[in-house]
Amino acid sequence: MDDLRIVERDVDAKETKISAKNVQVYYGDNHAIKDVNVEIADKTVTAFIGPSGCGKSTFLRCINRMNDTIDVCRVEGDIAIDGEDIYDRKVDPVQLRAKVGMVFQKPNPFPKSIYDNIAYGPRIHGLAKNKADLDVIVERSLRRGAIWDEVKDRLHAPGTGLSGGQQQRLCIARAVATEPEVLLMDEPCSALDPIATAQVEELIDELRQSYSVVIVTHSMQQAARVSQKTAFFHLGYLVEYGETGTIFTNPEDPRTESYITGRIG
Amino acid sequence: MTDLSAGGVPAARPKSSLLTEDARTKKRNAAERRFKNYGLTAVLLGVAALIMLLISILGNGLSAFQQTYVTLQVELPAETLDKEGNRNRDEMAKVSTFGYSPLIGAAMERAVAEAGIETELAADEQGDIISREAAAQLRNFVLANPEVVGETIEFEFLANGRIDGYLKDRVNRESAALDKNVSPAQLDLTDALQEEGILEKRFNWAFLTMPDASGQRPEAAGLGVAIMGSLYMMLIVLGLALPIGVAASIYLEEFAPKNRITDIIEVNISNLAAVPSIVFGILGLAIFINFAGLPQSAPIVGGLVLTLMTLPTIIIATRASLKSVPPSIRDAALGVGASKMQSVFHHVLPLAAPGILTGTIIGLAQALGETAPLLLIGMVAFVREYPSGPPEGFFDPASALPVQIYNWTQRSDPAFVERASGAIIVLLIFLVSMNALAIFLRRRFERRW
Repeated sequence: MDDLRIVERDVDAKETKISAKNVQVYYGDNHAIKDVNVEIADKTVTAFIGPSGCGKSTFLRCINRMNDTIDVCRVEGDIAIDGEDIYDRKVDPVQLRAKVGMVFQKPNPFPKSIYDNIAYGPRIHGLAKNKADLDVIVERSLRRGAIWDEVKDRLHAPGTGLSGGQQQRLCIARAVATEPEVLLMDEPCSALDPIATAQVEELIDELRQSYSVVIVTHSMQQAARVSQKTAFFHLGYLVEYGETGTIFTNPEDPRTESYITGRIG
Repeated sequence: MTDLSAGGVPAARPKSSLLTEDARTKKRNAAERRFKNYGLTAVLLGVAALIMLLISILGNGLSAFQQTYVTLQVELPAETLDKEGNRNRDEMAKVSTFGYSPLIGAAMERAVAEAGIETELAADEQGDIISREAAAQLRNFVLANPEVVGETIEFEFLANGRIDGYLKDRVNRESAALDKNVSPAQLDLTDALQEEGILEKRFNWAFLTMPDASGQRPEAAGLGVAIMGSLYMMLIVLGLALPIGVAASIYLEEFAPKNRITDIIEVNISNLAAVPSIVFGILGLAIFINFAGLPQSAPIVGGLVLTLMTLPTIIIATRASLKSVPPSIRDAALGVGASKMQSVFHHVLPLAAPGILTGTIIGLAQALGETAPLLLIGMVAFVREYPSGPPEGFFDPASALPVQIYNWTQRSDPAFVERASGAIIVLLIFLVSMNALAIFLRRRFERRW
């Protein structure tokens, strides 16, 4: 079985982590996501691209049920992680969100110390039995967030005092501290300068080793650089989904081609 | 482009120098200058009103913090004050203030004689320099310290209100000649006593600690009971309005679904903030006193009524400060798997706390100065007894600072004008320090992100 799987990976058939079937999202009367079917592979970076308002962020927020916090939002269809329906009655969204971490568009560290920013998730989920455990988790998470070397001497300084790029990596470290299986990123680089963007992109590539990463981006170059799979959304429809290389060089749908060549969007 | 130029294109702006103002610019600049002047005038008017208020209040009221005292050697004969001779407090209490008055009169006469002051005044007229409250003062002292009976003690008596007024330039010889309560001869004696050091004007702690006194004894009237009553009410308001208000706002802001019912609740809370305070007084009278049977004039009822009045202020302030916490903080907390309640209590509430505190203090300050509802629930009564310690004291009759001011302005003796203004100063000091605390807290704990 294991051998088989390795072979499968080599021929690019990793096991499916998230599968969505006939997903519809409504904001009140507005039908924001229409008939989206997608299978997102484990240990892969999947990019969602598309013009503003096409529903890519909305769909991303369905995966950890962040849309539940919006009163008028209604989700239909099935989204399953590892075959388990996350919109099942028995699923507690709080538990789900520990499994599906999220990084937001604007860096949003808590106005607390760097240490507390990372330690908050593990604390509320009871991942650490004592202070020493927690220290280990904090260090490991900050290392995974590729920010340990920059902050190790000032763990008790406020997280809001870091630069924008550092704050975003801190947020990524915070998201991985709860040991999620999926990492959702909603335009994580849109508020960052090119150098910080490059650092975060490098980090995303490393995170692929351990997580299934789904990233929403406005930058097609970024999608091409970091992702293996790309999904193109337009007006609420998932227009095309496939290998990143194929989407950018040889798209099937004329709308995809128009978008990546800059004619719509 | 081409079809645009074909239509009616406005004529090109005539060439003009940047160094000369054209007519439009002149007009706009003039309008701006006029507006600035209106604004400045408005600010100056406001400041002038404030200054006038302060001058009038301070001018009338500062003298309330000074009081004239007469220091006399009083003989306390055992045969009249303690007939049984056993220093039993209950036995001694049978001697009323009428038993003490002659002692004070005698002490006054002796002091005048010893100092060698010439006066045609009779003994009782000399004694009238001392307050009518003096006998009660002395009696209370003797009952509290029975061992002094039989001795001669030095005792400080309050001077009569008219004499006190003379030292504060409120009474002069012309007004005294028309006044049956004081005569010019008594004023002469006052001058002489002051020269001898028997009569002097000192800082008036009693104003802040003593209870109210009757209309004939303005010199003895103090704010003690009113301050206690106001303090008790503020404790009740703080203890009830803060938790209820904060819980209501958190629920409405963070948990409640946004629908028609919550909209109606929201509008009604804003309306509640605009309800005239006297209406709350009627409500308190109907519900807390007539229906629930709570005692009249008690801080508990005042506190409950003021809680109702303060709640909307606290709810509105708390909701505003909860709203001002950026949603990204909530997202961040939910994103790492915090529950709604954890995200509110761990992240949102600490960030909103300075705003909540400020709103609460402002609400308390409003409640502290509120008069109308207290009049309706009987806190306007004349109360001479201090309420006991909390929590039983919450049910004892008490007064309140603003009502005490209202009370004193109703009395005929001009000395009460001074007392009322002095009480206003005390109230203003409380209000200003509460507002200063609110500003300090906001500056100190306000977080920027």
